[in-house]
Amino acid sequence: MDLISKIKLDFKEAELYRSQGLLDEAIDKYTAIEALIKANSNIRQRKSLLAKIASRIDELNKKMKRISAPTPPPKVSEDAQTLMKEMFTYDDPEAKGSSSLGGAIALAKFGQYDKAIEELTRLLEYESLRVEAAKNLLSCWIQQNYVEYAVSLFQKWKKTRFFPPEELAIVLGHFQEVLAAAGVTREIAGVELQKTIEPDSEINDEDILDISATKFSLPGGPRKGERVEFEVSFQSGKYIQIIIPKKEKDLINGLNPGNMLKDIIFYSPAAIFSGTGFLSSKKAIEAGPKRGDYSFSIKIIDIKS
Amino acid sequence: MAVINLKNRQIECKLVYYGPGRSGKTANLEYINKNFSKQVAGKMISIDTEGDRTLFFDFLPIGLGKIRGCDVRVQLYTVPGQVKYRATRELVLRGADGIIFVADSLAVRREKNMMSLKDLHENLKKMGLDIRRIPLSLQYNKRDLENTGLPIMSIEKMEKELNRQLKVQSFPTSALTGEGVGKTLTHTIKLILAHLQKEFKWADGS
Ligand SMILES: Nc1nc2c(ncn2[C@@H]2O[C@H](COP(=O)(O)OP(=O)(O)OP(=O)(O)O)[C@@H](O)[C@H]2O)c(=O)[nH]1
Ligand SMILES: [Mg+2]
Repeated sequence: MDLISKIKLDFKEAELYRSQGLLDEAIDKYTAIEALIKANSNIRQRKSLLAKIASRIDELNKKMKRISAPTPPPKVSEDAQTLMKEMFTYDDPEAKGSSSLGGAIALAKFGQYDKAIEELTRLLEYESLRVEAAKNLLSCWIQQNYVEYAVSLFQKWKKTRFFPPEELAIVLGHFQEVLAAAGVTREIAGVELQKTIEPDSEINDEDILDISATKFSLPGGPRKGERVEFEVSFQSGKYIQIIIPKKEKDLINGLNPGNMLKDIIFYSPAAIFSGTGFLSSKKAIEAGPKRGDYSFSIKIIDIKS
Repeated sequence: MAVINLKNRQIECKLVYYGPGRSGKTANLEYINKNFSKQVAGKMISIDTEGDRTLFFDFLPIGLGKIRGCDVRVQLYTVPGQVKYRATRELVLRGADGIIFVADSLAVRREKNMMSLKDLHENLKKMGLDIRRIPLSLQYNKRDLENTGLPIMSIEKMEKELNRQLKVQSFPTSALTGEGVGKTLTHTIKLILAHLQKEFKWADGS
């Protein structure tokens, strides 16, 4: 192919990329043509060609800049908002009302904050949804940079005892996480959790074997009374830790600090023994691959056999 | 996730167009919207940014009438292909009953096709789905540019690079002329219905 035909074809290619919005590819191609022309001094209309290419590249660069500039998500039509909500109506059909929560969260994810806030505020009224609704509500405000408002909202909940202390602690944990992620350092007056007084353990740390798993009846929640076995993820003397994945909501809701586990069984590589355990803490994991899962620590109070 | 109402004999399922940015996903929906007016069951909703890039998704509901005694409706969605919208893609993909992967035949987009397919694979896995199990078809789009002297990949090459392991049905298409657009759609819906039949036995006489 002679030089002129090659340049013509290259031009056609660059123009195609440009018209299809393939900006990087178009810039690359124009730049290559530019180099080719510059290397050949005997091309007719060389100057005007180079000028045209330069203006194309300039225009493309400007467009790239515009497109990559961070812009707040646009507010979309009511139709589209309804659709966003309905896209998630199949979420967890078991739990009543959770579809509307899924819808509200979807609205927030799509940046439709006003509508999401409206929905989430409504969902605060439902006992089973209010923690998730509150968490997402705070996120919505923070994402729009209304830090002070979010803080005042949280403080209102705290002051009016809108949530039981356990739930408030979960909301607070999430709130702190969201603030940290947004790079905001702001003191939120901490929440005093009603301290549970731990019963004393009869045993010495040295006397406790390594425990690899444990089994006990769930003290509360929808599956109350069911015997469930858990792997022990960590042990420090008479405290063992178990982790429950976030999707196991029934288990998580059924276990709360202060619970006495009267029929607990401990499995160690050498022996199995039964005894009493005390659920001393419950925490949502805030970072890492297990983020959102819950860790519980159980204090071994006594061992019977 | 399909909604199957055996009492009213209705099926509603979700079909998602996936693929790299600018490959022609929105163009597919636009073509269907314009040319299959008998099937179109509602307004097409597009949420895009400057330069027509999809920002959240496009949506087009279609109705296929009665198939083996059931009223079948399909919701078509496109994902935003740009790499940076990964989270949105994941959101839109949720609950998909089937997928049409729109690959770009332009040689310069070769790697983007492969990356997007990998992204699909990972997103499905996150949802506990297997790319080899879900109803899926491939489109090699922009075939109208073949024989224009521009760098277009051959079907053989695309087949080898994208479909060697998947071995799903693939279609050469042009979302501009409409070539193959209807065929891909019909084939994929058939796959979805067959898949749902196995699971839910919705059809008459079964
Ligand atoms: N020649 C040709 N151009 C096409 C074809 N399909 C799409 N295009 C063009 O390619 C460009 C991108 O098409 P879209 O349908 O917006 O691409 P998309 O996959 O939705 O892109 P994103 O929304 O960014 O993910 C547009 O300029 C279309 O006109 C095709 O089959 N042939
Ligand atoms: Mg699009």
